[in-house]
Amino acid sequence: MIRLDNVTKVYEGATVAANDVSLDIQKGEFVFLVGASGSGKSTLIRLMLRDEPVTRGKIWVAGKDITTLPRWKIPFLRRSVGTVFQDYKLLPNKTVKENVAFALEVLGRPRSVIGPQVDQVLELVDLSDKAERYPRQLSGGEQQRVSVARSFVNRPPIMLCDEPTGNLDPKTSVEIMKLLDRINRTGTTIVMATHDHAIVDAMKRRVVALEGGKVIRDDESGGYEAAPPE
Amino acid sequence: MSRIIFLLKEAMVSLRRNILIVAGAVLAVFISLTLALGALVVNEILRLNTIAWQEGVHVIVFLNDEGENGVPLGAHDALLADVRTWEEVQYAFPFDKAQAWEEYKELFAGQPELLDIDPTILPASIRIELKDIDLHQSARFKLEQRTLEVRQVATAAESIEQLQNLSNVLNVLGLGMAVVLGIAAVVLIANTIRLAIYARRDEVSIMKLVGASNWFIRVPFLLEGMIEGLIGASLAVFAVWLGASNLATAGEAFALFRLDVSQEFFFRWGAFFLIFGAAAGVIGSMLGLSKYLRDADGTGQDVPTGF
Repeated sequence: MIRLDNVTKVYEGATVAANDVSLDIQKGEFVFLVGASGSGKSTLIRLMLRDEPVTRGKIWVAGKDITTLPRWKIPFLRRSVGTVFQDYKLLPNKTVKENVAFALEVLGRPRSVIGPQVDQVLELVDLSDKAERYPRQLSGGEQQRVSVARSFVNRPPIMLCDEPTGNLDPKTSVEIMKLLDRINRTGTTIVMATHDHAIVDAMKRRVVALEGGKVIRDDESGGYEAAPPE
Repeated sequence: MSRIIFLLKEAMVSLRRNILIVAGAVLAVFISLTLALGALVVNEILRLNTIAWQEGVHVIVFLNDEGENGVPLGAHDALLADVRTWEEVQYAFPFDKAQAWEEYKELFAGQPELLDIDPTILPASIRIELKDIDLHQSARFKLEQRTLEVRQVATAAESIEQLQNLSNVLNVLGLGMAVVLGIAAVVLIANTIRLAIYARRDEVSIMKLVGASNWFIRVPFLLEGMIEGLIGASLAVFAVWLGASNLATAGEAFALFRLDVSQEFFFRWGAFFLIFGAAAGVIGSMLGLSKYLRDADGTGQDVPTGF
């Protein structure tokens, strides 16, 4: 579903954010990208979203080489990749319902389709009763659930999450993770950058650890820290 | 259809939310186009008056009385016949003493003390319309050679020529001003849209994040610019029309100078200015958007920086 071949990203000033990274993520996988701040987690997410061009290497998303994708095709890539960020990225002047519907408006879906689809996804994230509220009237956890709903409403095959629990308390974080787990069980591939030990340890999913832009560990079903040698 | 409604709604919401910035852009377009259209109206008034004056008599040749001071009988007719052969002359006709007295009475009808004169002192004259107003000096020169018959040559040609020169200068100035102010309107709208985008940069980045194409992002801003341009242009056309209408009413008091401009002129130029206003809005928006959307593509503005 996602493949990175010897991907390197060097920012201006010679900062190496990704260093010869190779990864193969299968359809339906749930992959944690872990590491300290500055390890390159967010950069990898942005490279997979074609928000940054790679310096070297190739990235395939859903079978397409996105490193050579012409600029005008980037929106099409993003429509097939749901994104969830630490700061929710909601439109403050739109209600919960309008925020979620926005992702479908962009696709040009008719109103007859948008309404039921939005209601359905709001039910999934348990926010049907707050559909007419504005983001400022919601808690952090609720805002993040709206963000998840927006990214999932058009049923993308891939979801990229960059520290989605970074602003949330542990209890709310667990709620969000349960939600992402449910989405993952529908067959959606999820790649999530995090430095939340508890979540990674509890989920027991594939963990890719990064340090200085390099992959230092890739465990099929690991914890945040490397298991001690037997 | 639902997409069009959505984009229109987005544009209207943006107009409402950035009301002060929008008011600034509308005002800029209004002022620019009012000045440009105002210059055109002044120019049109001058053109109409020049034409009106040109269609009248350009030269009046006051004549010495026949049978006096050596002027033979029939000298007036001979001069008239001669004048009619001149290449400068389009049309010439005699104006005898009786007609001169009638004209005098008409001119000074409100001043009875001036009417108490001997009508025979008023000279007969020849009234001449020239083929081209620029030929007035040549005609005057020829007439002044005929000292026996000609008492005095009066001409409105200098004034008409001055008016024509003024009209030409105003033409150039009006055109120049319209171009400069038109560019100013486009730049102002571009800046307004840039400000609007800056105010909504988070929104735009979220739109890009969920896969909105550049055109999808652009259209509400283009509509916004077009609406701003249209409102500004409509106000300008209305203001100048109102001003010109009042001027025409005031001008009815002056018999010599026309101050009215035809409705057809306003329909023609009004339509042009409305189209120009809308086009200026769209072009301004495109200019304002192009750099931002280019920069926002794949340069990391969509998601938080840091890695």
